[in-house]
Amino acid sequence: MRQYLLKSILQIVPVLFLISIIVFVLVYVTGDPVSLMLSDTATDEDREILIAALGLDQPMHIQYFRFLGNMLQGDFGTSFRYDMPALPIVLERLPATFELAIAAMIVATVISIPLGILSATKRNSFLDIFVSGASVLGKAMPHFWLGIMLILLFAVEWKTLPVSGRGSWDHLILPAFTLGTGIAAEMTRLIRSSMLEILGQDYIRTARSKGLIETIVVYKHALRNSLIPVVTIMALQTSTLIGGTLITETIFSWPGMGQLIIQAVNTRDMAIVQAAVFVVAFLVIVSNILADILYRVLDPRIKYN
Amino acid sequence: MKKRIAGFGLAAILALSAALVGCSSQSGAPAQPSGNKETAQPAGQNGEKVLTIASGSDIVTFDIHDHNNTSTEAVHVNMFDYLVRKDAQQKVQPDLATEWETVNDTTWRFKLRQGVKFHNGDEFTAEDVKFTLERVATDNKLLEYGNYKQIKEVKVIDPHTVEIITHAPEPVLLNRLSRLGSGILPSKYIKEKGWDEFLKNPVGTGPYKLGKWVRDDRLTLVKNDEYFGEKPKWDKVVFRSIPEDATRVAELLTGGVDIAVNIPPSDLQRIKDNDGTDTKQGPTQRVMQLTLRLTPGTVTENPKVREAIDLAIDKQAIVDNILAGGGVPTRTRVTPGNFGTNLDLYNKTLYDPEKAKQLLAEAGYPNGLELTLNATSGRYLKDKETAELIQAMLAEVGINAKLELLEWSKFNEKYKAKKFDEVFMIAYGNSMFDASLAFDRLTTERSKGESDYSNPELDKLLADGEKNMNMEEREKQYKQAQEIIAEERPHIYLYQMNANYGVSDRINFEPRLDEMLFVDEITLK
Repeated sequence: MRQYLLKSILQIVPVLFLISIIVFVLVYVTGDPVSLMLSDTATDEDREILIAALGLDQPMHIQYFRFLGNMLQGDFGTSFRYDMPALPIVLERLPATFELAIAAMIVATVISIPLGILSATKRNSFLDIFVSGASVLGKAMPHFWLGIMLILLFAVEWKTLPVSGRGSWDHLILPAFTLGTGIAAEMTRLIRSSMLEILGQDYIRTARSKGLIETIVVYKHALRNSLIPVVTIMALQTSTLIGGTLITETIFSWPGMGQLIIQAVNTRDMAIVQAAVFVVAFLVIVSNILADILYRVLDPRIKYN
Repeated sequence: MKKRIAGFGLAAILALSAALVGCSSQSGAPAQPSGNKETAQPAGQNGEKVLTIASGSDIVTFDIHDHNNTSTEAVHVNMFDYLVRKDAQQKVQPDLATEWETVNDTTWRFKLRQGVKFHNGDEFTAEDVKFTLERVATDNKLLEYGNYKQIKEVKVIDPHTVEIITHAPEPVLLNRLSRLGSGILPSKYIKEKGWDEFLKNPVGTGPYKLGKWVRDDRLTLVKNDEYFGEKPKWDKVVFRSIPEDATRVAELLTGGVDIAVNIPPSDLQRIKDNDGTDTKQGPTQRVMQLTLRLTPGTVTENPKVREAIDLAIDKQAIVDNILAGGGVPTRTRVTPGNFGTNLDLYNKTLYDPEKAKQLLAEAGYPNGLELTLNATSGRYLKDKETAELIQAMLAEVGINAKLELLEWSKFNEKYKAKKFDEVFMIAYGNSMFDASLAFDRLTTERSKGESDYSNPELDKLLADGEKNMNMEEREKQYKQAQEIIAEERPHIYLYQMNANYGVSDRINFEPRLDEMLFVDEITLK
């Protein structure tokens, strides 16, 4: 176990190194930040000064090594938009994003576990068809559309929930549903198929044949085992969640990392983009390792080597 | 052991889901009708008067010299005071300076208001004026440097008198000092605590001081009881940043905010129809225009072609159909409210497609011609739609315009590199409220590579006007310059843009030409 952990952690290093190259090159080739930073009245001389100050007159590989060196010290440069170090700005936004992501996962879990079980145990019933249809729809609805529809219904028409912003509990509901619906849809389908597979196993037949009531068969014998893949899939949803926060946070003006990334990309605030992509990559890698470990812990048949 | 962990995990998830089902049903219970508890409470509740304003973006910084963002300045004006300030009619009024005079062509003397205190208790003196203006006039890394480098020195005569000395005669100094970048900073506080501390806890002399700033969420200002002028009208002012248009409109409709700026034309009717909200439109300093290339070898080098383009475009139709009436057609960039405006050219359009065809024939293109039109997509209100309509209008007279739409950062890159083909569409503002700024890209030197326009007569008029302290003569020079441009058309002006606001019925709000949000000009009904 310890060896496995160590190996996983060591694997992070080359991945992050590759990401550093991709991030650097992407930002480098997508355009010229100087034009965006200068005012309309700036002269060519002002431009030269700024280019030199940012080190953009150096060759690309020198710029990369300087970027890498600084990055290793946690320095992603200064955000030109905020005139502050980039990494603390990104980290400052994490709590809001975590809050939203956890709420969305809770929404997804609360919706998907009962629906998944019901549609597996009542296979091919009207309910099963309905749930399957709903999950296709849930997965297909784009965040921006769903978010705006929820606002129109719950905030504008029925006036039961606030439109946007971060504050009390009720501010969290609409964005959490917007972000959680797609994941709920995917998890419902997964729980359903996992349950169906387990319900066909020999030991379930044994349990039934020894006269156990159906509730115990389903909840004690089948559900526990069918949730093993689900728990790990949940951990793997990190990247879907973060992708979703970009849109969801912008719609609900939720002051998290997703909104920050969108704005940094729009204003070509390179330092913030780089720091944020790194933080996201790190989170995704860590959650993948966690998923892996969790899977092995939950299913003793899987060996570490 | 492992089984137990698995069982525990499962139990935890189920327990959590059970708990949360409880939670969510609880929170699903009817909430207060106005969505947001913290904002937009009617006056009287808690006894606090709160004004909430939603815009599309947050302020970028508290470094008043290092941004060029009108919506940021619109917030700053409530915290920082200028030496002189423009009232709602854009007339210069005393603010931190009570009197001023010109000592000679390059020296202005200002008497400063006494007994003014910064939010931290420091007294406002001439040293603060010197510190503030010399910083932006000398530090070329600051974004506003270009608009203040004309100032050579600020001399402290006594604690309440300063002299501002400019490199050359500076007829627009008062305009310069009543705009973005001119808010007076607390020199003692910044010198003692440093810039980082100031940026976290900014201090000015204005009627409101910083309460709390949650980036990209909300900036809360609270009233400054020590303010030297009239008592602040609001206890608390909240500036919310809501980037998504639909959400901003929804907040207004539900009473979550009192004013929402930048309303898309398609939502105006919905806001008007809603009980408790209305819309306000006001002119702005921004003018949409086409810049044409006069570079030898281009089709637009021919003045008749340029005139045909102008005559082919029905500007009123663009304003009516695309902007829902939110604009005024114009043949000049110097719109009313600016020094030197030529009213003969404002609210005018020369639309005449038949004559345009005739001009093209005279220019040697009886079967039409081809050119490229570059425009932004998503930078300005309905820019893409405007460009598409212009393309269609040009096609009517036989000009086959290839439309290249670019997202702003790509457009800007090409713009700064001066790499556009025959025509590009762009909008400019004028924070200086002076005709001179409207011509800054039209001198032979500045237009090189961009429009390649050159007219020695215009160059002379502009050079004279820039330094002319005789205002009457100066006005004539700029009026004449506008006529030359309207005739020669290196720029074809399309329309002055309006700003669209959604406003709650509980307040009185009149949009300002400079788009500043002086909250004490906004009152409860």
